[in-house]
Amino acid sequence: MVAWRGDILIPSSYLHPVFYQDITKCILKEDNIIAILQMGKLRHRWGSDCPRSSSRIAEFQDVLAEPKIVLQKLCELCFSGIPFDGGLRCLCWKILLNYLPVEKALWSTLLKKQRELYSQFLKEMIIQPGIAKANLGVSREDVTLEDHPLNPNPDSRWNTYFKDNEVLLQIDKDVRRLYPDMAFFQRPTDYPCLLILDPQNEFETLRKRVEQTTLKSQTVARNRSGVTNVSSPLKTSAPNSLSEYEVLPNGCEAHWEVVERILFIYAKLNPGIAYVQGMNEIVGPLYYTFATDPNNDWKEHAEADTFFCFTNLMAEIRDNFIKSLDDSQCGITYKMEKVYSTLKEKDVELYLKLQEQNIKPQFFAFRWLTLLLSQEFLLPDVIRIWDSLFADDNRFDFLLLVCCAMLILIRDQLLEGDFTLNMRLLQDYPISDVRLILKKAKELQDSK
Amino acid sequence: MAKKTYDLLFKLLLIGDSGVGKTCVLFRFSDDAFNTTFISTIGIDFKIKTVELQGKKIKLQIWDTAGQERFHTITTSYYRGAMGIMLVYDITNGKSFENISKWLRNIDEHANEDVERMLLGNKCDMEEKRVVLKAKGEQIAREHGIRFFETSAKANINIEKAFLTLAEDILRKTPVKEPNSENVDISSGGGVTGWKNKCC
Repeated sequence: MVAWRGDILIPSSYLHPVFYQDITKCILKEDNIIAILQMGKLRHRWGSDCPRSSSRIAEFQDVLAEPKIVLQKLCELCFSGIPFDGGLRCLCWKILLNYLPVEKALWSTLLKKQRELYSQFLKEMIIQPGIAKANLGVSREDVTLEDHPLNPNPDSRWNTYFKDNEVLLQIDKDVRRLYPDMAFFQRPTDYPCLLILDPQNEFETLRKRVEQTTLKSQTVARNRSGVTNVSSPLKTSAPNSLSEYEVLPNGCEAHWEVVERILFIYAKLNPGIAYVQGMNEIVGPLYYTFATDPNNDWKEHAEADTFFCFTNLMAEIRDNFIKSLDDSQCGITYKMEKVYSTLKEKDVELYLKLQEQNIKPQFFAFRWLTLLLSQEFLLPDVIRIWDSLFADDNRFDFLLLVCCAMLILIRDQLLEGDFTLNMRLLQDYPISDVRLILKKAKELQDSK
Repeated sequence: MAKKTYDLLFKLLLIGDSGVGKTCVLFRFSDDAFNTTFISTIGIDFKIKTVELQGKKIKLQIWDTAGQERFHTITTSYYRGAMGIMLVYDITNGKSFENISKWLRNIDEHANEDVERMLLGNKCDMEEKRVVLKAKGEQIAREHGIRFFETSAKANINIEKAFLTLAEDILRKTPVKEPNSENVDISSGGGVTGWKNKCC
C-alpha cells in the first residue's frame, strides 16, 4: 500500500507506527493530515529503524490478553511507543492513566458506570441549567424576588449562571483555536451527544449559550458607550470569534464542541481550578486518540472516556495550572528550576551558557512543562512522547529529562548562539525527530 | 559574543486580555502577515525586529504574554525589564476595555516607573461589531497621559506606526551619546539597557 499527498510517496512499510496511523487517515480524509505531511518533517521517518512490526503488536496483544494485566510489563512495552493498530494505544493509555483497572473482568461494569456518570454530569450541569434558563426566558413566575438576574447573593442561581458563562466563553475561544492546522477538530464527530442534540430539546445548549452571551454583552456594552442604534444587534448576528469558524448545522457537532463540553464539565466539577488556558492542549491529544480509535465500540464513548482520563491526568499535573502554588514545592516555578538543576548535573557548560545569557527557564520551559510538550511538536509526535511519559513510573520526572535532552541535543547551536538566536531555538524547537529526543532522555535517566 | 548589528536594544512587552489579538499585532509587525488561527499564548513568547530611527539601528525585542489571569505571576516578572509596554484591548469586546484600568494598575505595580506606555484598541477593521467608541479609548489614554492608537492587525492599520512611535518615545528618553559596548548588552535578559543611566 502506498500513501500519497502531492508528490510525496511513502511506502507504508517504512513508516513509524505513530505516523502510520495518520497516513491511513490521509487516504481516508486527505486534508486531515496537512500538518503532518510537511516535507521537512517527513525525512527522518524514512529510516529503517522503525518499521511496523507485527511481532511488536503481538507482544502487546500477549500482555493485554492476560486476565490480570501485569502493569510493569505493559509499561515497559509502552515506553518505546505504542502501535496504533487495533486500538492498542487507546487501550494502553486508558490503563496507564488508571481509568481501566488491570483486572479485565472489571472493565465492562466500570465503563458502564463511568459512562452513565458522565451522562449524569451532562444532565446536571448542562441540560438542567439549560432548561431552567429556557423556562426563565418564557415564564415570568420563575423570576422571583429570591432569584433574578440582578440578585447580588453569591449563591443565586443567576450568579452561578453568569460566572459559568465567563468560564465557558474562555473555553470557547481556546477550543476553536485547537490545532488550527489540522482539519480534525473542525470536522463533525460520528458520535454527537444525542442527549444534547435531540431535536425535541428546547433547552439552552452550550452552543446557544455562547452565541447568546456574546450577543448580550455586546448590546449592553453598546448602550454603556452611549451609542444606540449605530447598528442593530440583529445585524451583528455572529460575534467575531464565532465568524472565524463555521458552526455546523443543528444535529451535527464538531469535535471541538465535544472538547468544549469536556472542559466545561471539568471546570464545573473542579471550581478551584475551573479552566486555565492550556488545558485545551492537554485534553486535545487525549480526545484525538480516543476519537480515532479504529474500534467503534470504544470510539463511540470517546467523550466520556476522555473526560475521565483527562481528570486522572489533571490530578497529577494540575498544580502546574494553579497560580497560588507557583512558588510552592509542587508548583511550576520549582519544576522549571528543576529542569535547570538537572541540566547543571548533566551538562554544566550548557547550563552556564544559558545562565550567562540570562535565558530563564520561564522563557521556554513553562510552556514545555505545563503543556507536556504538546505545542512543541506535531500531534503524532506529541502522542508518541506521551506514550513514554505515561509509561514511566515517575512520569513527570521523565518529562524533566525530556526537556534536558531537548536542550542537550541542540547544545552546539546554543553554545554558539546569542540571546536572540537561542530564544528562537527554544521557542521554536528545531528537532522534529522525537525518537532521538526520547532516546537521549532515556540515556540521561539511565546515567543517574 | 556575536557581532552587534544594531546600536540600541529596546525591550517591549505586549499585555492585555486573552483574545484581544496581541499575538496577531506582533505577528503583523514582525512578519507582515495575518493569521486568524493563532493558538492561545501560554506563558510568554518572543519576537525580534530591527528598525531604523533617526539614523540608528534599533533592535526591538518584543515579548508577547498570555492574557489569562493565571499567567500573571509568570508574565508580571517581565514588566520590570521592559522599556515600553503596549496595552491592547479589543474594540469589539467591552470587557477587555473595562479591564484596561486593571492592566494599568499592574504596570504601576510591576514595571519601571518611567516605562513608556501605549494603549491600542485592536480589531478596528470590525466597525460593525464595535462596542467601544474611539472617543472612550482616547479619553482613558488622555487621563493616564499615554498615547493611543486604534489598530487592526488584519487590515494592517497603524501597527507599524504604533511600534515605531513607541520606539521613538523610548529613544527620546535615551541618552544621546553613542552607546558603547557596555550599555548595549546583547545577552541582556534582566537589566534595562541603553537608557538606564539617563539623567534627571
